[in-house]
Amino acid sequence: MKIKGLYCHHVHLLLVPATLGILSLSGCEKKANDEPPSRNKEKAMSMMKNSIKQEVKKDLSQLSDPVKLIVFTQDMECELCADNRTLMEEVAALSEKVSTEIYDFATDKDPVQRYGIGKIPAVGIQGKKDYGIRFYGVPGGYEFSSLLHAIKIVSKNESGLSSAAKEELKGLTKPVHIQVFVTPTCPYCPAAVQIAHKAAMESELITADMIEIQEFPQLAVKYNVMGVPQTVINESVRFTGALPENKFLQKILEAAK
Amino acid sequence: MEQVVIAGTGPAGLTAAIYAARARLDPQVIEGITPGGQLIVSHEVENMPGFPEGISGLDLIKLFKRQAKRFGARFQSGIIRTVSKRDTAYVLTTDETTLETRTLIIATGAQARRLDVPSEPKFYGQGVSGCATCDGPFFRDRDVLVVGGGNTAIGDALFLTRFARTVTIVHRRDYLRAAPIEIEKARRHPKIRWMIPWIVAEIAGDKSITGAVLKNPDTGETRKVDCGGIFVAIGHDPQTEAFRDLVVCDEHGFIQVESGSTQTSAPGVFACGDVCDPVYKQAVVAAGLGCMAALDAQRYLEQQDT
Ligand SMILES: Cc1cc2nc3c(=O)[nH]c(=O)nc-3n(C[C@H](O)[C@H](O)[C@H](O)COP(=O)(O)OP(=O)(O)OC[C@H]3O[C@@H](n4cnc5c(N)ncnc54)[C@H](O)[C@@H]3O)c2cc1C
Repeated sequence: MKIKGLYCHHVHLLLVPATLGILSLSGCEKKANDEPPSRNKEKAMSMMKNSIKQEVKKDLSQLSDPVKLIVFTQDMECELCADNRTLMEEVAALSEKVSTEIYDFATDKDPVQRYGIGKIPAVGIQGKKDYGIRFYGVPGGYEFSSLLHAIKIVSKNESGLSSAAKEELKGLTKPVHIQVFVTPTCPYCPAAVQIAHKAAMESELITADMIEIQEFPQLAVKYNVMGVPQTVINESVRFTGALPENKFLQKILEAAK
Repeated sequence: MEQVVIAGTGPAGLTAAIYAARARLDPQVIEGITPGGQLIVSHEVENMPGFPEGISGLDLIKLFKRQAKRFGARFQSGIIRTVSKRDTAYVLTTDETTLETRTLIIATGAQARRLDVPSEPKFYGQGVSGCATCDGPFFRDRDVLVVGGGNTAIGDALFLTRFARTVTIVHRRDYLRAAPIEIEKARRHPKIRWMIPWIVAEIAGDKSITGAVLKNPDTGETRKVDCGGIFVAIGHDPQTEAFRDLVVCDEHGFIQVESGSTQTSAPGVFACGDVCDPVYKQAVVAAGLGCMAALDAQRYLEQQDT
């Protein structure tokens, strides 16, 4: 798909190469000479091309249980918050099993606390219950596949982790917070994000965040992120690169010791 | 006892899995450190027959895998560490398990070469990167080096000009292997500079990189340059560490196979894809060799059983 506009507010999505099939999102359906897109709630522009929508629709056609995308934005929407909300609404429109619930980060104190949301744009993926699967920042580019992945595992109520891994996670006794820092142009990143989300699904004690690090520069500074995927578990364990499932699991267990 | 174990899930291993599964050999596939192999980082594969519009490497690999699973191939995460012979079979160990198998298909491909500099491991992910598209955005308005002279290096350099203040291409030879059009683009780019022929001899910095010491291999002269990041694109090495004692490799580590087949020096052990191909290094070739390896393994098993 071609990325046309000059008014792309997502510099990072612009970097996604011309065709990434279903993985690719363009924030820009506008022609170069048009007005900058209006950013109010009524008129947010489309985040997905029609051809991509068709593919996503097909991909989501086999969902089982309903899935709710719990979206956090705010009244005076930041551009990325608006994009994120639009994207979630567009994905939800592609399956009758998927719906959105939109909250205001500033005023909806109760859900903000219940879902433990500390920054926006944020999305929690909820199925039968809240498994602790979170997306901070727009899951565009390669990360779009992680969004679809999370929706699918939650809907099917099956993380897809190996039975040995599931068994090991049952032994956890302490809360585990996994943060996976990504860029949307990183082909290795979804592997790390998806393992983290699977683990969150398996254990009540695990919360797993995808964090689009360019949207949270303060975290990039705090954790000195200069390479992705970078994973931080409970502030104590940290590694760069995508690990195979069993190695990732060992890191989780190490952090929870 | 397994009939076939396949090491690697790039185009070679996955194609071998499709064929072996269809031949009812119930293959067990070990995924290795990079499930999907090298191709998952390719944004756009334009030369795979059957995909006239092009396809992303990741999407392509997902299709390969789906096809292998459809015929019943089993996948397991893990890295093969050792292989030893037991009678006519082979015992493989990963960090977690031990497997015994009658045949082994090695499709472990190749991995990006790292800089041969003492402090490189310390800075990997902290300023040294092997993936320009992943990490480029962290180097806005910084000066960066790109090490290498092939298509990947020149492509990375051009990509990085979107963020970096300057991009210096450091290459150890005085000629470039990259395609002439790409070289021309880079030559005309105002942000790109050249250090040719130079090599990176040391990396300077404490927590993050502040510079590098470059060395001219011809004159021995050294020079310190300031930079905030180093992107490495100096080619790939075959991943044969676990198999060096089992099969004969050439001096660069590529597994040697009999001409016109995938048979290695060890009976019942076959190799396919980039791990035994220093020449073509293409997904479609790796897939073709993967097919050959599965058929060779099938024939070997049939001969053993009669
Ligand atoms: C950026 C880039 C772009 C490319 N673009 C194209 C293109 O457009 N067209 C094209 O035809 N080719 C392209 N190639 C080349 C192509 O990717 C390779 O030729 C192909 O992937 C080789 O396949 P393979 O299966 O032999 O090995 P690989 O793809 O390297 O896969 C090796 C597999 O082995 C596994 N492994 C390694 N060690 C072990 C172990 N000890 N135990 C178990 N498993 C192990 C790894 O985890 C991996 O799954 C590109 C390569 C790169 C890097």
